[in-house]
Amino acid sequence: MKLKLAIYWGAACGGCDVAILDTHEKILEIADMADIHLWPVAMDFKYAEVRAFKDKYLDATLFSGAIRNSENEELAKLLRRKSKAMIALGACAHTGGVPGLANMYTRGEILDRVYLRSESTINPEGTLPAEEFMTNSGELELPRFYNTVKALDQVVDVDYYIPGCPPASLQIYSALGLIADDMLPKKGSVIGAGDRALCDECARKKSEKTITKIYRTHEKLPDAETCFLEQGFICLGPATRSGCGSRCIKSWTPCRGCYGPLDDVKDQGIKMLGALASVLEPKDEKGINAILDTVVDPLRTVNRFSLASSMLRRKKT
Amino acid sequence: MKRIAIDPITRLEGHGKIMIFLNEQGAVDNAFLQIPELRGFEKFVEGLPVEEIPRVVTRICGV
Repeated sequence: MKLKLAIYWGAACGGCDVAILDTHEKILEIADMADIHLWPVAMDFKYAEVRAFKDKYLDATLFSGAIRNSENEELAKLLRRKSKAMIALGACAHTGGVPGLANMYTRGEILDRVYLRSESTINPEGTLPAEEFMTNSGELELPRFYNTVKALDQVVDVDYYIPGCPPASLQIYSALGLIADDMLPKKGSVIGAGDRALCDECARKKSEKTITKIYRTHEKLPDAETCFLEQGFICLGPATRSGCGSRCIKSWTPCRGCYGPLDDVKDQGIKMLGALASVLEPKDEKGINAILDTVVDPLRTVNRFSLASSMLRRKKT
Repeated sequence: MKRIAIDPITRLEGHGKIMIFLNEQGAVDNAFLQIPELRGFEKFVEGLPVEEIPRVVTRICGV
């Protein structure tokens, strides 16, 4: 029997949806494998149709995007109720992703910047989005813009995670195969990824690391063969799950950790800071701090995709 | 006034809904396109090292 599948997005960019389409001709196999019952970016279904499904009607929902507002949360809860398996697709649903960087600011700071101080916005009356707005014809409603961005599993029970920003297309394809063949591992598992650190799949040469200076990418040309971290460029390989195919590394770009932490790592950023501190040449606190102080914007470097699910989670308000 | 909600609008990148209000004759009295989403890139890229900007703002739209 064909799978009943929903593909939905919260605070997302649509890149996960495109990654599904980037399976190229295998999309035809996916179409043979599953009937799609909701996919806003590509097909025309309405929320009212989803609300009419019986509970657990869907075999699986692939949910990409973070939980940014009340609509994202309501749809996550609705689809959770209608689905046998809830699958977080991509870094935003998995760990909060890039939208989670908004947790460095408050709701008020973001609305102020976007609607009142944006150079390209003319808003002399200082209008801000309102949850309820009365027009001459009737009332309009918008979702509540939350103060804190959350990962999917901070609002609903999640069965599986397919990481990545975006997930590698063939990894999505193989994960769908696991669902279709009823071969899913234990609940809570990360699927469509490796189980080792990215460094283990990275082709760059590694030896004993002794870093004496941190470099930004414009300060030095990296050599073609040596580990980025050994050359002093911050690369999140040691703190990141493998499975992406080293896409960034192969493009001469150090990893920023979109595949998230390995099993049993609570905070990817802290793991990376630990890895970094351990490979610095100075071993005393003063020497280590002198080098770490040169890292520009450490939080958004080591928790680039995982701030919302980190132990810090957000700026204190 | 009768309302017709087109929710969500589909086959595009992003979230949106259309609310249509009909008068007693059944004609359109008013129609609104609503965008129920915001992430706030304008704010959270502030202070980011400039060489990191391209790999963050590419997440505004991935389509």
